[in-house]
Amino acid sequence: MKAEAVEAVIRGLKRAGVSIATYLPDSLLKELYPALDADPDIRTIPVTNEGEGAAIAGGVFLSGKRAVLVMENSGLRAATEHLARMGLGAGIPVVMIMSYRGEMGENNWWAIPHGITMEPLLQTLRTPYTIVRDVDEVEQAVVNAYETAYASYYHAAVVLGGDLVR
Amino acid sequence: MSYSRFEAMKLLGARLADELVILSLGGAVDEWYNAAPHMRDASLFQQQLGCVTPQAFGLAAGLPHRRIVSLDTDGGLLFNLGILATLGNERPENLFIVVWDNEQYQSIGGPRTHTKGGRVDLAAIARGAGVEHAYTAETLEEFDAHCTAGLATKAPYIVVAKTDGILEPGIKRKHSDGREDKYIFVRHVEKTEAITIMGPSEHN
Repeated sequence: MKAEAVEAVIRGLKRAGVSIATYLPDSLLKELYPALDADPDIRTIPVTNEGEGAAIAGGVFLSGKRAVLVMENSGLRAATEHLARMGLGAGIPVVMIMSYRGEMGENNWWAIPHGITMEPLLQTLRTPYTIVRDVDEVEQAVVNAYETAYASYYHAAVVLGGDLVR
Repeated sequence: MSYSRFEAMKLLGARLADELVILSLGGAVDEWYNAAPHMRDASLFQQQLGCVTPQAFGLAAGLPHRRIVSLDTDGGLLFNLGILATLGNERPENLFIVVWDNEQYQSIGGPRTHTKGGRVDLAAIARGAGVEHAYTAETLEEFDAHCTAGLATKAPYIVVAKTDGILEPGIKRKHSDGREDKYIFVRHVEKTEAITIMGPSEHN
């Protein structure tokens, strides 16, 4: 992941008032996780699976603080159960930032399913999302996700793809 | 040696005032609604298998000055045992977790969970995950003592309550759904913390 993109994500999170980040690390965003860990304004909580991370983020929402769930897009599959229960069942929002594994040009066979399942799952979960490939659009996309999530009290997602993560 | 969950809830409820509670699905919902009526607004009644203790931990992380109580279940905790490892590492000082372990999926008629038969020990799993204060309460008296300790300990504290699986008869059903429950809970947190969580839109 490009250093400029890492910095833009963190700027966006700070503008949105985020103070807690849950994550399950992946390879495409690997530079983002230590940057979050090192940031004095953000508490990071590594988790064992993305569903757990989503539920922790939902709990943070209930406290009045703001959280983000950072993950590979495959994590959306693991988190779907939790996201459906919290979002569709109760209106508890989770804002997600995920890498776009399996995008056109993917050269790992195991990552192809991630690309195939991501957008249909986001749409099934009725989750608005922005796919960002230009570093100049990253910060505002993150801010916008929070504006939408806190107006709809529902999930929102930012997908980081293209040259941003390669 | 098992005991009534409803009686255990009444003992726990009597110890709570300013705490916030997140609880699981099934019969425990209506029982808690009746066992601790003074805690209704301070309790998030959710139907979210596998979400309860992670949500409670998120709440505890956001409100570190306030005691949070998770009322989880054997089925709910078994759905996401990974949270125990996360708690072992994160070590929240304000999170007390009760696991109502009746060894069955009670809400769907009572099929056995993996704790039935005595081979699976949730407290031992928790200790192995780094949560040193993890205990099994075989009697009502033991449960009560763990409530006293767990609500005062500045470390994650888990008590697995081996209850009998008999639903308290004749109690009032809770009528609200998850969305209404969320609003009630959020407004209670806003009021008691003097904060805004779900505020007004930019324009009316």
